[in-house]
Amino acid sequence: MSFDLANSGQEKEDRKYYDRNKGDDLQISRTDMNMLIMNYLVTEGFKEAAIKFQQEAGLQEPALCSSLDERIMIREAVQTGRIPDAIAMVNALHPELLDNDRYLYFHLQQLQLLELIRAGRAEEALAFASATLAEAGANDPNALTELERSLALLAFPDPHASPFADLLLPSHSQKIASELNAAILKMENQEYTNPKLCSLLRMILWSQSELDKHNIKYPKMTDLANATIEKPKHGRRL
Amino acid sequence: MKLRKLEMAAMGSGRGTMDSQNQVQSDTVDRLKSLYPNVNEEETPLPRSWSTKDKFSYIGLSQNNLRVHYKGHGKTHKDAASVRATHPIPAACGLYYFEVRIVSKGRDGYMGIGLSAHGVNMNRLPGWDKHSYGYHGDDGHSFCSSGTGQPYGPTFTTGDVIGCGVNLVDNTCFYTKNGHHLGIAFRGLPPNLYPTVGLQTPGEVVDANFGQQPFVFDIEDMLRELRARTRLAIDEFPLPDDQGQWQQVLHRMVSTYLVHHGYCSTAQAFSRATGQPIDEDIASIKNRQRVSKLVVSGRIGEAIEVTRALYPGLLERDVDLLFLLKYRQFVEMVNGSDAEAGGDAGGANGVATSVISHTSHAPANGHQPHTNGVSEAAEESSAAADVDMSPPPHTNGAHAEAEGCGTRASVERMLAFGRELYAMSQKLQQDQFVKSMLEDAFSLLAYSNPWDSPVGWQLEPVRREAVCEALNSAILEAQGMKWISPVEACVSHSRELLRRMARAGLGACAFADLAALLRR
Repeated sequence: MSFDLANSGQEKEDRKYYDRNKGDDLQISRTDMNMLIMNYLVTEGFKEAAIKFQQEAGLQEPALCSSLDERIMIREAVQTGRIPDAIAMVNALHPELLDNDRYLYFHLQQLQLLELIRAGRAEEALAFASATLAEAGANDPNALTELERSLALLAFPDPHASPFADLLLPSHSQKIASELNAAILKMENQEYTNPKLCSLLRMILWSQSELDKHNIKYPKMTDLANATIEKPKHGRRL
Repeated sequence: MKLRKLEMAAMGSGRGTMDSQNQVQSDTVDRLKSLYPNVNEEETPLPRSWSTKDKFSYIGLSQNNLRVHYKGHGKTHKDAASVRATHPIPAACGLYYFEVRIVSKGRDGYMGIGLSAHGVNMNRLPGWDKHSYGYHGDDGHSFCSSGTGQPYGPTFTTGDVIGCGVNLVDNTCFYTKNGHHLGIAFRGLPPNLYPTVGLQTPGEVVDANFGQQPFVFDIEDMLRELRARTRLAIDEFPLPDDQGQWQQVLHRMVSTYLVHHGYCSTAQAFSRATGQPIDEDIASIKNRQRVSKLVVSGRIGEAIEVTRALYPGLLERDVDLLFLLKYRQFVEMVNGSDAEAGGDAGGANGVATSVISHTSHAPANGHQPHTNGVSEAAEESSAAADVDMSPPPHTNGAHAEAEGCGTRASVERMLAFGRELYAMSQKLQQDQFVKSMLEDAFSLLAYSNPWDSPVGWQLEPVRREAVCEALNSAILEAQGMKWISPVEACVSHSRELLRRMARAGLGACAFADLAALLRR
């Protein structure tokens, strides 16, 4: 089933399906849902949105972590491509963090490389790669693959049209920013670093894989972002 | 489809939850429910005693069908006799456990404790036949669907407590003796097995504990471990290959939720930080926000007016929704939150009904932001406390005259409104939920302190949420948008998946604790 307007006939059925679920006593209240969203905003360091949400939804003041301001600035630096700034801020906050997590450090340097490529500074990019990144690539096959993918961008006249263009999208730097954010939270002994929203979506993926393993038919969510669900095919009944 | 909306409001927001609450209270401590919280006993009841029907004739039961004694001749193995529990073990237990205390070993102590499938011959000891499994006291052997046992554990006799545990995640079975784990006895168990005991010689008596009493063995420790393991499996579940998009999925979910419920400034702030597009006009979001705020603060009459002005025809097309709103308006009149209750004499703060003899015990309403004065009226209605606020000139003695239910004028207004509501219900497709909603609503009038009455749950501000949701969904749907936000669809879907796992016998569902996840 899908939420597309084209299938309005199906959609009505969907609504019934959900309403029935709402009738049980496990009903999730609006407050719980709001807390789920607030948890995301806070753990991921979206301070302005968190404060606005607290006002708009009438929630209790979010328990903002002490490092929130720093984490926001670090996130911003990563997402706007100011990688040396970000690294300096992380080192000021937790000097040992990037020493201990070399893969994360590699990811930040990779972002710096991508910034050079994005700016069309090919020679600098190659020099930077051989000077700083080659070592990481030699020690870690995953890093090597990622390094190769990044440098391959140089082979295309328009890197944005290449098969590796995903590396240049904002979503890539957002992903690294979240990795870094989680690492900082872990450093500060925040018991739970994954936002609950992640766990919810992972629970769906986990349940679906368990059902798949046992060949059980069920309505499968195929697209999480849009909550698109496919009805099970009733092949056997026909 | 439409009636579901009413069902949702009636069930989800009131009756269903109330009933189950009452049940829990009357059972005071139901240990079984806390051991197996994910089992839906309406679908798959838990074993709570031995079956009076599913047993061989040589078996006698007593003490609420928990004590089993042998009453045959006990000459040969052909005189063996077993009894099964009333129900099979639900998969949603995840880990199931019961204990048997040997009251007396009788003549020879030929006793078997274990599991068997429906229909297995009861003129036998557990373990001797296909789909039957047992641990026998005389030799300490385990019997796995075979007349020949394997050396397994110690023998057991009078005074011993033997436990039988079924792991429904990996389909294994283990036993305990006097609180000590004896190791795995059986693997590859089929689904839907019943707790079973078998006896064979005169004088043998055993007592079962299906969890109503504390166990000798610490099963809760095992449950905790399985729960932690499942949580880890979920939290570390590998993401799909396009992991770069994962962050986008999460951002999209947050953004669409904020927009869906009209948290406009938050959505804008989030959009600035992440670049997530907002797919709806800001003005349109603000309109929905306005309507939602009115409903959530109990000002239903105004919410209806504003809805009519902003979305002409919507309520006319959807009479069920209109009925739901009018029902809520009636409830809010009793609550003293709906301005219309005061009619022309509305009073400065819009609270006109005089039924307020006690502060509503509803929790401080955390849902109204302080814009355009929307929240003021509702807050004052709670703050009104013991003050009688009837606008007509019966200031003194209003309590006495009202006999606890408001002044005559306001009561008359409510009754008139109630008649209108009733007339409206007659035009709807007659339905159980419509009826029960009306009954519950009108019952409010029968109590001097409706907040403290059996139907008082209707007055809690949190009950406005379902109405707010129904109206918001209808507006969104009418504008060609999804009626439910993706993240809420995910919560529903996740619950449905766990239910399907339970039905399919996948015990792992017991430890995927959605409610705990949402609250932790």
